[in-house]
Amino acid sequence: MSTHTLTLPHRVVQTDHLGFFRYTDIGHGKVVLTNDAGEWSILPEATFRAFLAGQMGTDHPDYAPMAAKGFFRDALDLDDMAAKIRRKRFYAAQGPHLHVMITTLRCNQSCRYCHASREDMTKSDVDMSPEVVRHAVDMAFCSTSPYICFEYTGGEPTANMEAIQLAVAYANHKKKTSPKTVDHSVVTNMSFMNEEVAEWLMDHEVLVCTSLDGPKDLHDWNRGWQKREYNFPRGVPMAGSSAYDQVLRWMAYFNRRYIERGKDPDLWHIDALMTTTRRSLPRAREIVDLYVELGLRSLKIRPLNPYGFATKTWRQIGYTMEEYLAFYEEVLDYIIELNLQGVEIQEGTAAIFLQKMMTPFDPNYVDIRSPIGSGTGQVAYNFDGRIFPSDEGRMLAGMGSDFVQIGTLGETSYAEMIGHPTVRSLVMSSYLDALPACHSCFGAPYCGVRPINNFMESGDLFAQRPNTPKCAEHMGIMRLLFDRLAQDVEGKVEAIFRRWTIQRPRDDA
Amino acid sequence: MSEAATLERQTTELVFELQQGRVFFALDEDLYPRDAIFGAAYLFVDRCWVFLTRPADGQVGVRLRAKDPSADEATLTALAGEFANELLNQVVRIRVAESTAQIREFYMAKAFFADQAQSSIDALLAELDAEELAEDDLAIEVPWEDPDA
Repeated sequence: MSTHTLTLPHRVVQTDHLGFFRYTDIGHGKVVLTNDAGEWSILPEATFRAFLAGQMGTDHPDYAPMAAKGFFRDALDLDDMAAKIRRKRFYAAQGPHLHVMITTLRCNQSCRYCHASREDMTKSDVDMSPEVVRHAVDMAFCSTSPYICFEYTGGEPTANMEAIQLAVAYANHKKKTSPKTVDHSVVTNMSFMNEEVAEWLMDHEVLVCTSLDGPKDLHDWNRGWQKREYNFPRGVPMAGSSAYDQVLRWMAYFNRRYIERGKDPDLWHIDALMTTTRRSLPRAREIVDLYVELGLRSLKIRPLNPYGFATKTWRQIGYTMEEYLAFYEEVLDYIIELNLQGVEIQEGTAAIFLQKMMTPFDPNYVDIRSPIGSGTGQVAYNFDGRIFPSDEGRMLAGMGSDFVQIGTLGETSYAEMIGHPTVRSLVMSSYLDALPACHSCFGAPYCGVRPINNFMESGDLFAQRPNTPKCAEHMGIMRLLFDRLAQDVEGKVEAIFRRWTIQRPRDDA
Repeated sequence: MSEAATLERQTTELVFELQQGRVFFALDEDLYPRDAIFGAAYLFVDRCWVFLTRPADGQVGVRLRAKDPSADEATLTALAGEFANELLNQVVRIRVAESTAQIREFYMAKAFFADQAQSSIDALLAELDAEELAEDDLAIEVPWEDPDA
């Protein structure tokens, strides 16, 4: 045994002068401070220590902006702070706005990371029935949210196009007597797309989102077709064909037709999601270049989730969070570099955090908010009428654990669903102000934890924060963004980041 | 000498022991509140096995054993430094949180009080929306100006 002595700089704290704040060291001798209203300041370490010690005078250049943000008690405007918090947390007073409808579990792709536990196309008992569709739409319209979005997913949701058509028609009928704003979106692999379906989706302003994981070989390796011919009952010649070609063909079709229909292409275009596997890691620049080449304005990098097939194929496709964050950093920096050259593209997850950090509002992204959107911001209706607090919940059920079910369509009332003990548990286990480590984390005003992910990984909705990959991911991204802002002497990166926070509503078009 | 330079000169000393792949601190609760010790230790559960003990009245023992069995003395010394820094940060956080607790309660209550009122109106509207308007036996939905009503 040996005894050692550490000599550390002493922290003098004069709390009488300070408003509430959280902070962290982001390297390069800089400290970032945040507060409950989501305001932030980046200070050199020496200035931070003077701030703590009550020695930052009113003539200090950082005093006035920090006072306006609520970091000094003497200058704190309590009404203003309350108004800012209310605006940021507006979602706490609303009900679920995202209503995920799993129209079928059937799918003809066999993605290596499939989270949804898809079924073969010959299965006849995994489609959402008209009765369930109507109940789901009825339930969605009970939500106290003034805005609702139906998201059709699966399986491959367009394999049960009848359910989508009925849901849209019934929702439009209900909308006549409702003040709600209603959107529809479909997440499709394009394998069942044809001109009739495409034109119908555009006629009814159903937003279309697809998956594009990267260049052809990477996309097709991640998202191969199923091998058995009976999975292609409409006679689509998939054998030997490329999933990537199918996606690109229909992206081009939709984007051309939106323009021909007079839609603003900035607002009406195909969005794509990118899922990261081990094979993506060395190909950051190629993936960004592909998105730019295709004219996509947003690339949302997503890590694998611990659901469905991904749990079985992890050894083949998985990676550590450190590896993922290194990949993410390469993508982010390359996208910033392209923006500096005048190319318009953003990274989607960064844009979510930047909206929280740089605007007075919150994008109400259900997976990154406090409390989490599960049950209070989104609801998922399984094909069989079972209700789950989120798509993750039904994925968990697909793996045989349905304990997060919060009701059954046709039997459960809205009040019973929203007040279900599971929903309460999810709120409690994701309210950052009350979670160990999160409550004092600099990222608390912007972050969100995912209890169902926690349960999948540790068997505990709360989990130990430092051991959860989502904590590492979100904290890593926030640190990167603050670091890039701290090093941005000329304000060029801040200008780019601010542009990423601008969201135009589609009804502008 | 500037104020910042004066602050720079003030230091805190913290003693720790290294033994068989472990770091041990005996921390005085008068100097380091128990919540600060727990808060700092919690942040190391991803890298270390954390054991908390009571070596003496008013003291908390924190033993960190690196999960990486190959951690050498230099790694453990760095770990001790990180823990000490985090401990000082936790003390600051707790002092700031305690001193601003009432202010936060006030503005949080003010922020959410207004939303709760709005929420009850939304709930009422939703309840009305949820009713089956097609089954309007009393013809409440029909405008009274309608001559066919």
